[in-house]
Amino acid sequence: MIPDLAQEGKAQEQQWVPQPKAPVVMFNNVGKTYGRYQAIGGISLALSGGVTGILGLNGAGKSTMFKLLMGKLQPSQGEVRLFGTNPWKNPAPYARVGYVPENENMYDWMTAHEFVSIFARLHGLTRDEAKIEAERVLEFVGLTDVMHKKIGLYSKGMRQRAKIAHALVNDPELIILDEPLQGCDPLARTTIMNVIRELGRMGRTILLSSHILSEIERITEQIVILHQGRLLAIGNLHAIREQLDNIPHTIEIECNDAKSLARDVLSLEVVHGLQFPSPTKLKIFTHHLGEFHKRLPRIIVDNEHDVMVINNPDDDLQSILGYLTGGYG
Amino acid sequence: MTEESTLDASNPVTGKSRMDAAWGSESSDQASIAQPVAQTGQVFEQVYVPWQGTLNPRWMRNWAIFRHHVLGIVRKGHRPWGIPTKLVLIFVLIASMTDVALTLLFAVIGEPDLYELWGVGRNNLYGHVLGFFPRNMLYYPLVAALLVGGVISEDRSNGTSALYFSRPINRFDYVGMKYLAVATIQSFIIIGTLFLYYFVDILAMGRGWAWILDTFPLFLTTVFCAILLVVTYTSIGLALSSVSRGKFFPGIALLAVLLGTKTLAAIVNGLFDSSILYLISPYDSVAHVGQALIGTNIVYDHPWIWSLASVVAINAVSLYVLSVRVSSMEVTRE
Amino acid sequence: MKKKRGETIWTALDRKATAIAEFTMRQYRTRLSTWVVLGVGFLAIFVVLLFYIDAMNSEIEAVDNDGDSFDWDGDGYVNGQEFKYGTDIYDELSHPGLLNPPVEPEPASMYINEDDYDWDYSDASYIKTGYDNDGDCTDSSLLPSQKDDNGDGNPCNIILRYDVSSGSYFVYADPNVDEDPDEERYGKEAQHRAFILGIGKLGFVFLLSIFIPLFLATGLIRDEMNSGTMQYMTAKPIARGEIFLYRILGYLAIVWPYLLVVCTFLALVSGFMGPGDQFFRFGDLGIWFSILIAALLATLVYGMLFAFLGVLWKYGIILALPIAAWELGMALLSMSVPESSFLRMSIVGWSMSIIDSGAYLVWPDMAMFTEAGSWAGGSNNDGPFLFFGSNELPGYGALEWAQSDLGLGMGPYATTVVSVIVLLFQAAFFWFIGQLIFKSKEIV
Repeated sequence: MIPDLAQEGKAQEQQWVPQPKAPVVMFNNVGKTYGRYQAIGGISLALSGGVTGILGLNGAGKSTMFKLLMGKLQPSQGEVRLFGTNPWKNPAPYARVGYVPENENMYDWMTAHEFVSIFARLHGLTRDEAKIEAERVLEFVGLTDVMHKKIGLYSKGMRQRAKIAHALVNDPELIILDEPLQGCDPLARTTIMNVIRELGRMGRTILLSSHILSEIERITEQIVILHQGRLLAIGNLHAIREQLDNIPHTIEIECNDAKSLARDVLSLEVVHGLQFPSPTKLKIFTHHLGEFHKRLPRIIVDNEHDVMVINNPDDDLQSILGYLTGGYG
Repeated sequence: MTEESTLDASNPVTGKSRMDAAWGSESSDQASIAQPVAQTGQVFEQVYVPWQGTLNPRWMRNWAIFRHHVLGIVRKGHRPWGIPTKLVLIFVLIASMTDVALTLLFAVIGEPDLYELWGVGRNNLYGHVLGFFPRNMLYYPLVAALLVGGVISEDRSNGTSALYFSRPINRFDYVGMKYLAVATIQSFIIIGTLFLYYFVDILAMGRGWAWILDTFPLFLTTVFCAILLVVTYTSIGLALSSVSRGKFFPGIALLAVLLGTKTLAAIVNGLFDSSILYLISPYDSVAHVGQALIGTNIVYDHPWIWSLASVVAINAVSLYVLSVRVSSMEVTRE
Repeated sequence: MKKKRGETIWTALDRKATAIAEFTMRQYRTRLSTWVVLGVGFLAIFVVLLFYIDAMNSEIEAVDNDGDSFDWDGDGYVNGQEFKYGTDIYDELSHPGLLNPPVEPEPASMYINEDDYDWDYSDASYIKTGYDNDGDCTDSSLLPSQKDDNGDGNPCNIILRYDVSSGSYFVYADPNVDEDPDEERYGKEAQHRAFILGIGKLGFVFLLSIFIPLFLATGLIRDEMNSGTMQYMTAKPIARGEIFLYRILGYLAIVWPYLLVVCTFLALVSGFMGPGDQFFRFGDLGIWFSILIAALLATLVYGMLFAFLGVLWKYGIILALPIAAWELGMALLSMSVPESSFLRMSIVGWSMSIIDSGAYLVWPDMAMFTEAGSWAGGSNNDGPFLFFGSNELPGYGALEWAQSDLGLGMGPYATTVVSVIVLLFQAAFFWFIGQLIFKSKEIV
């Protein structure tokens, strides 16, 4: 291999023909084993456009999927395609991808501006172009005022945003975010979510992973659920949730006057049971969660109930996974 | 305490107030979807029973640390030494038993001339512990480097030193036990094989009491020199381990100190015919003391007392650095 | 990407290569260990320099190699003066004072170092040279046949014959020619040369060029892989082989200027301190240049090798240590048996041969000069006198230790060129394997 003196990157040398019909991301019966441990097994999936949330518990294989996609891992079986090309040992398609890795280690001794601009130059930008680009993306993620401070002094949310900025610097068509919200406080969470939503609105293909349903739900409805290395469900969140409707759900409401709320709620036919753990608490049992949530706001507003907390203890990823895998069925 | 504040599984504590959930989120199709609150876990009923036992004596706690490190070489469930470290230890252990094997071999063959070459004697005892090539060039420094490599710095970089210091353990006990453990493992190899060498000779050659009385003082002197060697290597190594944070830096630095000073002194000796710079080489200082005590041919020009002073100074400086670093060490993940 | 107007090779290079190299340099700069390693390296070299300065400033005791400053018969006239006037050195009653007119006794110091080397240095294999400064060969009452011991028909000269098989000169001297060399003059020059060669070979090519890469280059790729930060770089459209190469470039950008500075510093100090009439020994700059070249190439090859070992295995450092030990053995072998074929399988052997050939180019008299120290005015082998002091001139031992012949059996220029090519090939080879392995590494 001769070093690329023209610095135009392998991307330009290797003729990857962007196939117009090829999905941005394609997994064809992909498996990955580490020794005897199977991280993912037999995943087939094709995605193009939009924001997609990859949901799964820790160890479900989300990061493995992303690393396969970024050519960091070699699939043990099946084939992975990124823009229609095999990403393993081939950095060509990365020119159109921005990747935010999961790991928290960063170059603490650099400033965010240096970090982003140095990595922009790896996309073939000159020093001056890289500076301008870095400033642009850092403003986009809202780090302009601290961009000349060392990353080591940043809070977790700022570090995540710096990582996102470094991934956005080449204006990528596909953005992969591995646990972008992990460990962030609510404020940082909201900022990052806004950034992702904005990117989705700009028409980018976005893959993000999380193990918290509510986070994903605030960003996108298109989800992929992974469980123990297998594809459990794929599609619209609401559609998935609707399937769960014939399973009894529990909703907890904390309010000033549980009794009057109970009276109003009982008028709904979907409710089939009530419980009063305390004078200000109400437990409602329903078979149709979606239907119930459609009606509930109206009841509260119409009857001017003072509701403090609505809790869906069952509506987290754990219980969805439980239902889907038949654990609670 | 009111009824609401009981903590049990049926009444999870979430502490979330999410009014906006009731009004739906901003997009219209989601208007009717309640925003679920992340489950933050449940606090189960649990009773905290303070520990009422009596603390074991200090030596017993220290013994546990020591045991944890030494047993890690052979058993699981103790300090996990790396596989390469274990392999090198086994290799060096076998390689430093070559003289034992040759003694046995020639005892069996009954070849007195060859036996003289390998049997217990002044030069061979010296060579077993302090010979430069290959023992103190390849084997013992490598063992010391691998052992001290992560022994303190890894605790610092992983934050596991906090696990130690949150127990009733004195910092100096912690370091002292690590020191002893590392020195003990090296001693197994250096002094253990020396013992084996001596006693195999007695058994294989059927030595009488007269021979034993003759050579035993020599043997004890060699053991003393071996202890000096082990202590010096361990002191320097642990001092380096306490000032750095990586796993490999202390190891390379120890080798650089041991072999680099030796090379430097050799350059000066070759060019300017002055052996004085060998005083900065820990190995050469110990070797010089060993040559004087065991009574082999002295290859250095300066008096051996200087080398002894140098050994003491090297150890003192290393232990000083070690103690200063340990007492001022911040218990955090660095 | 379309080429924009005004885009030159430099603006193009300003992209990936400099981005990673610059990044690597900055990373080194923020680490304390880098400065400690470089500082300790300088300190080590500086200690040797102190010994050199001390040696240059201390006087070498003058030795009377031919013993003619002694007065054996106690008549007040030293042997040399008695020789000159043909009186008996063993007879108290025979001395120049009894001659007519009587001669005053001369001080003994006149007969120490009174006949220094007058050798015409050249690299011919058969040389007639030498001149009897003190006239104890030309003027004495010796017969013409006695004046021509070596039988070349010319009285009072020296024949130097180069022996190809032993690689050294043999000295065939007529009696009393160049028999009492100046220890100070020879010793200073010899120590100066020995210092340059010794520090170049063992200081630069061995100590600095092995330990600095061991500290700095082993973790170039491995540290990033361990801490997970390699994720960022490998997610960019750049081949891993290029990452490897440009990281090495960044490492060289730290190490090479450092070597240049240390080498220049030593060249300046030894140039001013060194013996000789001139103000500064400009001639030595050539040998310092070849030392610099050798050290630069050695750090390049070792850097590639250790970075490759780091990629190869998490515990690559354990593989690096036996290699360092092997190189130490090869360094010592290269100084004693430069023609050994084991040296072809080392890095240090090739680097040292660059320095050796540099020494041959800068000091073409090297073989004769070394032989002169061994011959020591004839007090070592077939000379007429065998008296006092050591058999060798001071500084000869150091020079003999530090200097070695060209082991490749080629001329100095050819040796340099071949060695440079081999070292570059080695670097390319380690880079090639390193990037192959790096490419197929899974980055978890």
